[in-house]
Amino acid sequence: MKKSIFKRVICAALAGVMMLGAFGCSEKEESSSSSEVDSLQKVLDSGKFILGLDATFVPMGYTDENDEIVGFDIDVAEEVCKRMGVELVKQPINWDTKEEDLEAGRIDCIWNGMSVNAERAERMNLSEPYMNNKMVFVVPADSTAQSMADLEGCVIGVQNGSTAQTILAESDIASTITESASATNDEALMQMESGLVDAVFLDVIVADYKIVTGGKDYRVLSDGLAEEEYAIGFRKEDQELRDEVQKILGEMKADGTLAEISTKWFGSDITTVK
Amino acid sequence: MTSQEILNVVKLLLEYLVPTLKVFGFTLLFSVPLGMVVALLKMCKFKPISYLTNIYILIMRGTPLMLQVIVAFYAVPMLKNGEGTPQFIVNLLNNIDIKDENYMFNAVLVAFVLNYAAYFAEIFRGGIESIPKGQYEAAAALSMTRTQTFFKIILPQVVKRVVPASANEVITLVKDTSLANVVAYAEITLKAKQQMQLYSSLVPLFIAGAFYFVLATVLTIVFSYVEKKLDYYK
Repeated sequence: MKKSIFKRVICAALAGVMMLGAFGCSEKEESSSSSEVDSLQKVLDSGKFILGLDATFVPMGYTDENDEIVGFDIDVAEEVCKRMGVELVKQPINWDTKEEDLEAGRIDCIWNGMSVNAERAERMNLSEPYMNNKMVFVVPADSTAQSMADLEGCVIGVQNGSTAQTILAESDIASTITESASATNDEALMQMESGLVDAVFLDVIVADYKIVTGGKDYRVLSDGLAEEEYAIGFRKEDQELRDEVQKILGEMKADGTLAEISTKWFGSDITTVK
Repeated sequence: MTSQEILNVVKLLLEYLVPTLKVFGFTLLFSVPLGMVVALLKMCKFKPISYLTNIYILIMRGTPLMLQVIVAFYAVPMLKNGEGTPQFIVNLLNNIDIKDENYMFNAVLVAFVLNYAAYFAEIFRGGIESIPKGQYEAAAALSMTRTQTFFKIILPQVVKRVVPASANEVITLVKDTSLANVVAYAEITLKAKQQMQLYSSLVPLFIAGAFYFVLATVLTIVFSYVEKKLDYYK
């Protein structure tokens, strides 16, 4: 009697293991990405435009109190999708593996305040830049530092893996300062508040938003480093889709919708779409 | 953060406790039986099987679970788009829809189950091998068959010996579920990280920490009860 019970247990276990193996295999037919198919038509056919984002980049695209993904980029993308007649799907991804997600076809674009650099231009089909960004130093309001020169010998916080980190490391003051890398800009800013670092090097967009909307007691040093631009990343072969989004952005700039959204988030129109 | 904001975060994280527990529960459900099978395969007298099992355990225990989650998640699209992939594999993989909402969970689960099965297998093997040879001989002297010996004599002792070590693994598993956030699986750690950016505060992470702590405490109590219940053969 005992034996047969055990046999049943073993059977159930094996069935479980086999089920696990078969789990993913029962899903519906795929729509593989082949370059002959018009990428724009594919999005229109599916009725969905899947936007990949990190969902932690305030104010471009982030998760709010109610677990909704909001932000400047999201508002613009919503409007673009409305004009394309498709539904916007916001797909959170891990920023470190964004290129893999894009190439694997999980998402149709990366649209999350992504800075343009040579490696990204190489791997993705980038839109025209839609916003300018500058890397600046932020210090506590009561700091004595007035310009970059005053930061000599200071500890500077920066987000690990960001373009800010690269720019800082290549800058002239790199040898005179100590870099302290944090996982996020916010951690770096918190370290500054608790006195662990003297200044934080980050995107002016984020810095301004923290000071204006967040009400933080920081000050931005007047002289920043390297200008850079934000763009939307598409798959290399998705030329039609990229062009369509670009065209709609142009129309939105012309009819003032873009300025309206920009004013809502930043207080003025800081977009650079032509 | 104000207490209202903290309450908000707690409520939000409570919602995402479900996906966390889903990974935890299903991993246990599949990895414990699989671990038993792997343990038996490793002790198999036919050497090639034993060697292959060893290699599997070596890989699973020798690489970070975080990496395994990434591999499980991207293996399907990468093989599908890879140039050297044999056609029959591509055809097989074409049945998997990576945009399906369950795909992420399944991929995460595959990584967790394969990883934890390797650890459980070693625990179970240790338990089985800890039983003195004399007991097998005594059972044989009583003319019990090998199956009878295993299920009536050996297994009841093994079960109670492997519980403390398994409890260790299970508690580790609760906290390891947080690794699923590496592929943006929406569970409490990912949500806590997102809220952290929103409030510019570390508090959401601490709240998530409290969630894990409570879960681990509950499991600790459960296992100490189980150990008491298994307090036979004294």
